[in-house]
Amino acid sequence: MTGRHIALRGINKRFGALTANDDVDLDIASGACLALLGENGAGKSTLMKVLYGITHADSGTISIDGVQQNFRGPFEAMAAGIGMVFQQFSLAPALTVQENLLLASPTAPWLHVPGSRALTAVLEVLARLAPDIDPRSRVADLAVGERQLIELAKVLNLNARTIILDEPTSVLTPTETKRLYGFIETLVADGAAVIMITHKLADVEACADHTAIMHRGRMVHAGPSADLSRQQMVELMIGTASPATADRPSAPASTTPRVIVRKLAADTETSSVANIDLEVCAGELLGIAGVVGNGQTVLADALVGLHPLRGGDVIVDGHSVAWTPKPRIPDGRVAYVPEQPVHNAVVPDLDLSANLGMRSILQRRFWQFSRQQQDADARALLESADVRPPEPMRKAGTLSGGNLQKLVLGRELAGAPSLIVACYPTMGLDVAATRAVYRNLFEHLDRGAAIIWISEELDDLLDYAHRIAVLHGGRIVGVRDWASASRAEIGDLMLLGALPQCA
Amino acid sequence: MRVIGQSQQAERALTALLSAFAFILVAMGFFAFIGEPPFQTLLAMVTYAVGDSYSLSESLVKTTPILFCALAAIIPARLGLISVGAEGQLYIGALVGTFVMLLAVPYGGWLLMPGILIGGAVGGAIWGWLPGVLRARFQVNETITTLLLNYIAVLLVSAAVYGPWKDLANLGWPATIAFPDASVLPFMFGTRVHAGLLIAVVAALSLQVLFRYSRWGQGLDVLKGNARVGRMMGLDFQRQAIIVMAFGGVFAGLAGITEASAIQGRLQPGISVGYGLTGFLVAWLAGHNALLAIPVSFLIGGLIAAGDTLQLFNKIPASSAIVLQGLLFATALAVPGLIRLWRARRG
Ligand SMILES: Nc1ncnc2c1ncn2[C@@H]1O[C@H](COP(=O)(O)OP(=O)(O)O)[C@@H](O)[C@H]1O
Ligand SMILES: [Mg+2]
Repeated sequence: MTGRHIALRGINKRFGALTANDDVDLDIASGACLALLGENGAGKSTLMKVLYGITHADSGTISIDGVQQNFRGPFEAMAAGIGMVFQQFSLAPALTVQENLLLASPTAPWLHVPGSRALTAVLEVLARLAPDIDPRSRVADLAVGERQLIELAKVLNLNARTIILDEPTSVLTPTETKRLYGFIETLVADGAAVIMITHKLADVEACADHTAIMHRGRMVHAGPSADLSRQQMVELMIGTASPATADRPSAPASTTPRVIVRKLAADTETSSVANIDLEVCAGELLGIAGVVGNGQTVLADALVGLHPLRGGDVIVDGHSVAWTPKPRIPDGRVAYVPEQPVHNAVVPDLDLSANLGMRSILQRRFWQFSRQQQDADARALLESADVRPPEPMRKAGTLSGGNLQKLVLGRELAGAPSLIVACYPTMGLDVAATRAVYRNLFEHLDRGAAIIWISEELDDLLDYAHRIAVLHGGRIVGVRDWASASRAEIGDLMLLGALPQCA
Repeated sequence: MRVIGQSQQAERALTALLSAFAFILVAMGFFAFIGEPPFQTLLAMVTYAVGDSYSLSESLVKTTPILFCALAAIIPARLGLISVGAEGQLYIGALVGTFVMLLAVPYGGWLLMPGILIGGAVGGAIWGWLPGVLRARFQVNETITTLLLNYIAVLLVSAAVYGPWKDLANLGWPATIAFPDASVLPFMFGTRVHAGLLIAVVAALSLQVLFRYSRWGQGLDVLKGNARVGRMMGLDFQRQAIIVMAFGGVFAGLAGITEASAIQGRLQPGISVGYGLTGFLVAWLAGHNALLAIPVSFLIGGLIAAGDTLQLFNKIPASSAIVLQGLLFATALAVPGLIRLWRARRG
């Protein structure tokens, strides 16, 4: 396997007034893993899309082993052995895993015969990558982490020698993350080049030989990972002095529950929760730990009154929020930050101002001839939530994932809700933004709000939550106080649903 | 931000201009293909569409039902629903309006005209409400149901005019009695253009204002863009699906009753020459913008009217007008795509 060398030189890319890539140089060597670091909106995805031929740079060159390339589209990049797994996936949910793989394979015949050679060929990589995924299951039924592995298999089936992974670990469980690290190692040992976009330092430590750091469109550092300390990386990423991690919020002042969940039961086609009993006091942060796919989504929707209950009730300040005539979030009393805000909390085709204003659409007067007030409110909210760029007229769909997350948080946490239900609120956020989210949530705690925080980041839960409830198979299998919670115990509950029996 | 808006508008205008130009070329190609002098025929068409007051009025006569039917497709489209049911709603509108006329004729009076108009609107609304409910309650695809309901509507009208409503004075010709003068909308400028055109234009303008500036229109934008988010904000997709389908039907129903009463004078089979489908295409061409639907409807109306006259005087086959209409839609939909492709290639 001959090593090859890809060089990006002087890449510039502007979107209107915004410079996403500002004179960026990058070298990619085979047989190594390169971590591309940077906070949300730093321009990492844009740079890689330029390499992959989807986005065309305004200026700059790409050369492979000294030969200048001019990719007109991803097909030409693929032909040159470059593959990319996107932040937003491109699988057909209604089709099965093997159908998706066949679709993406250029050598597959148009008629899919069971047991054909083409089929065995496309399944080979998947079998190595994720032996426990049944190729005949429908993509719609798979967890996010599993979908990502299928995306990766798709790219590997194209014989990619340079593999770009856009924030692969942000959607993975700890186990899945480990497996991915292992897989990256194998690829690198095979002589491939892997570029991993991330803002998790753990990813860098686990597998990156080289590190490149971007900040606001510029490349601010590139070199061997060992050259930088954790602290230095953080400084380069966020451009300012060291971020102190947030303090644990102070213990709740009262012990009378403000939010009472009684025997809650709810179902969707694919998952269900039952027998959920929870109580949250004013000023208390209750964490819900669990591996994705154990009923988190339906639980969150049911808690805020968006999903009809099969039984039980959710009572906030003495009022039921679940048994309302229409599924909806009660005004003011409950705030909801759903998972995957891109799909669940914004309208991509509408502008930011409309997306922020829609929270109060039902309170509005029938006619709204001037949007001046709404736009001004939006501008203020965009500034305070640090959404970049803070342009109210920009379509929400053009924002990067992290900035959309900030937008949704800003909108949902703007009032003075009694109950806040937040699902993975820091997923995809960089260090500075994560800190801002915690600070925002903790301010609401000080005000007396009750927060139910659904997360997978066990470390964060252990650091900040007052109590942790573990969700497994649609039930709460244990609740621990932060003082008595042990990492190992909660991990066992998350994965096994019970503590190992003492012999 | 204003700058962005302006450059977008300029771009849209340029696209429209290029599309028009492409259509003219293609149309001339078509004339050459059927052995007519391309340039003269084209000129003749323009003359027959807007050349004198008679041609202009005939173009406006065609514009009216097309615009109504375009609105019937645009309103559901604001929620992301694809309704092709304007044709059926038009027929049922005519049927119910005529029913009101048959009931009320013995009493006469000034209530007759508003009565039959309301009948038409209600008929169309029912024929839109039905697929709306099926979609909202049972997730039945509204495009399929509206398509099938079109056939039922046409046959219901035939059943009525061949059967119980046939006027025996017609000597076997399947049609009802004539609409009395008091029931017919006033004509304008001494032509066949009736006040329905006015209603349609005012409706289009008001709808566009509603879409843009009302809580209702903004709610539709949210639901169309992401129904889940709409639900989060307390909006009700199911309810709105029924509302937009029925509301859209109102306008197709008005097209039906005004065609029957003012243009044809009685209810008979074949009230519409594909106005429903034409309206649907106009809605798409106008980008589901009710305001833009006005000029686009006039353009198509002119094309159809000119096609009729062309056939009369230049011995060009009757189907040419339909071919031209098809070519217009094809170019108008293809040119923007080709421009995008060209842009992408250029990078
Ligand atoms: N297609 C686009 N149109 C307009 N702006 C864009 C587009 N794609 C990205 N941007 C903007 O460019 C900046 C960099 O985005 P991106 O490369 O996605 O950042 P990240 O480093 O988080 O991957 C962001 O501010 C984003 O809003
Ligand atoms: Mg990105």
